[in-house]
Amino acid sequence: MNPRTIIHLDLDTFFVSVERLLNSSLIGKPIIIGGTSDRGIVSSCSYEARRFGVHSAMPIRTAKQLCSDAIFIRGDMEEYSKQSRLVTDIISEHAPIYEKASIDEHYIDITGMDRFFGSFRWSKQLRERIIKDTGLPISFGLSTNKTVSKIATGEGKPNGELHIPQQDIKPFLSPLSIRKIPMIGKQSYRLLRSMGVSTIRTLSMIPPEMISQVMGKNGIIAWKKANGIDDTPVVQYSERKSISTERTFDKDTTNIIYLNNLLTSMVEKIAFELRKKQKLTGCVTVKIRYSNFDTHTLQKHLTYTSFDHILIQTATELFNRLYTRRMLIRLIGVRFSSLVGGSQQLDIFEDKPEMIDLYQAMDNMRLRYGNKAVQRAIGIDVNNKGKNI
Amino acid sequence: MKFIISSTTLLRGLQKVSGVLGTNNTLPILEDFLFELNEDKLKITASDLETTISVTLTTTKADGPVVIAIPAKMLMEIMKSLPDTPVTFTVDGTNIEIFAGEGKYKLIGHQSDEFPQIPVMDNTTSLELNSALLVNAFNKTLFATGNDELRPVMSGVLFEIKKDNITFVATDAHKLVRYRRNDFKSETETSLIIPKKPLAHLKNVMPEDEDVAVNVEINDTNIKLEFDDIVLICRLIEGKYPNYEAVIPMQNPYKLTIERKSLLNSIKRVSIFGSKSTHQVRFKITGQELLLTAEDLDYSSEAKERLTCSYHGDDIEIGFNSRFMQEMLSTLEPERIILELSAPNRAGIILSEKSDDDPEDVLMLIMPVMLTQ
Repeated sequence: MNPRTIIHLDLDTFFVSVERLLNSSLIGKPIIIGGTSDRGIVSSCSYEARRFGVHSAMPIRTAKQLCSDAIFIRGDMEEYSKQSRLVTDIISEHAPIYEKASIDEHYIDITGMDRFFGSFRWSKQLRERIIKDTGLPISFGLSTNKTVSKIATGEGKPNGELHIPQQDIKPFLSPLSIRKIPMIGKQSYRLLRSMGVSTIRTLSMIPPEMISQVMGKNGIIAWKKANGIDDTPVVQYSERKSISTERTFDKDTTNIIYLNNLLTSMVEKIAFELRKKQKLTGCVTVKIRYSNFDTHTLQKHLTYTSFDHILIQTATELFNRLYTRRMLIRLIGVRFSSLVGGSQQLDIFEDKPEMIDLYQAMDNMRLRYGNKAVQRAIGIDVNNKGKNI
Repeated sequence: MKFIISSTTLLRGLQKVSGVLGTNNTLPILEDFLFELNEDKLKITASDLETTISVTLTTTKADGPVVIAIPAKMLMEIMKSLPDTPVTFTVDGTNIEIFAGEGKYKLIGHQSDEFPQIPVMDNTTSLELNSALLVNAFNKTLFATGNDELRPVMSGVLFEIKKDNITFVATDAHKLVRYRRNDFKSETETSLIIPKKPLAHLKNVMPEDEDVAVNVEINDTNIKLEFDDIVLICRLIEGKYPNYEAVIPMQNPYKLTIERKSLLNSIKRVSIFGSKSTHQVRFKITGQELLLTAEDLDYSSEAKERLTCSYHGDDIEIGFNSRFMQEMLSTLEPERIILELSAPNRAGIILSEKSDDDPEDVLMLIMPVMLTQ
């Protein structure tokens, strides 16, 4: 394969940057964004806060202890999505092939462009354009594949630009910690550390057979990445594979009636989402997390459908089978996967014309007056109560 | 104990019963054929517990009696690979030796008493049907049967026998076929549900062109069909068949008349570009024109085709599963068909354009998909 040119763009402390854009008095102060309730976790924090040892995915309570002077913000996902879309728009205007990897990350494949513009200069200009147009700080890494570019961005942050040409990949990666490889999480890190592997250099020198024995298929991928090999393509557009929702409670609960009602209301909400997008689901998954963080899921395949009454029944059945221990629950979630585009096939015996008319009337009301315009009565109760049981 | 039989005769016999052999049998003996030799008649039986079928062949030379279960797969394979030649079977206990030409083949059979007993039927009513009618009825209905384990009655075909007609019904809850013959007379009235597997097998082994009499015996739990040298006994599906007449809409104000083949071919072409999981095709009828569209959003492919038709009714847009439509249209024979509609969320009815004195009455019902307006 010819060497490719891949850019990884990452918005620096994205949520914080957006908040600062909206309220300039926040600039230069330690900011922590995340659920403000006691149980919430940090979803983003400014560099000022990081100095105190705060990092994302840390419980808010711990963050408060570490940095009590920080400004805690609830976060506004809608605003973040909007800003993220602005960035994507600018990229799509300029880039030949791009992939939106998450709300604040993009990959761009500019293979072949160096012949005309010079890849680094082009990337620099794109970055400057984004900063100028949106006011959001952004960093990028430029290399020959997605993994190296991403690691380079991480090293270049904040507000950085880093170019790692083919011949520099090895020297660049070698001294870094294996933690920097995107796929190596807590578990793999621990495992590798217990084997005495701490730098990418060591990992890259282990025979791949040995890695695959300890970590399986993923081991080989990790090993390849450590050697700077990653041939996953930049995919322009990825279809949504599933629709899901979950709820963490303020206080753990065993209130079975409440849980069932909440589940019904959650299914109703995302089933409408399905119909709105003209999709059908072939698989329902229910997830619960007990107070000791034991997480259990159960799924069921069914013929493609988007009907509330079938999905609610399936989800409730799954939940009743899943919730077997009389233990407090802290989280409940439901997911629809195996999505396909299309409309509901009607059933001769079950689907009466009156019911179909009802579905359509309700969906029309929701489309016009919003999600909550009409809903099952048991759902109103759980939603009004909010998170307080 | 031995017998001699022509390999072609034997193979033809085996093929007449092999369709009943199960694929995932709980009882190993069900992977065998039961051979029963009585004078010069060789009876071969296959069973999957639900259905038992046997064929009686004439041997060229017999030194019986023999009763043994022979592994079906091995026997079928060797018979298929032999040219037309006399085959000698020698049976000693469970040891079987087969001589054909210069070849000698040996295999181990099983004790016949392990083979399930053929059910004895009491309190039967009997009637006579003809094979051409049955094969035609199976062809028209079998494709519409369901696979839902939760609704077992739908995995069979309903036979409704009345004094002056016979009706066959099949449905999988998305499509329904009602095939009625008005040229049928019976003294008894009854209705029964027969599983689809033995019917699909019968469809293949029954003579289609000639009118061969089929003797039928029925009781509450089983049906027995006898024709030529074949006897099939099968357990009926218990349960109540859904009230199909109630779901066939009587008032369908809109009528579309169209050439069957051109509609079928258009749907075939259009659906290539549609979703491979939902097989959805839109029918948009305006004036005397039918517009078919299919699209697959995931792959950005789409297709449109226009057809002229004769239509009485308001403009309508309705979505159907193209696979169901294709199955129905290819099963029907007449040149022109009528599609009756009432609303985008109500069933469509497909009828063949026919004269009044035609004894055949076919009605096919197809449920639409719920299109968002």
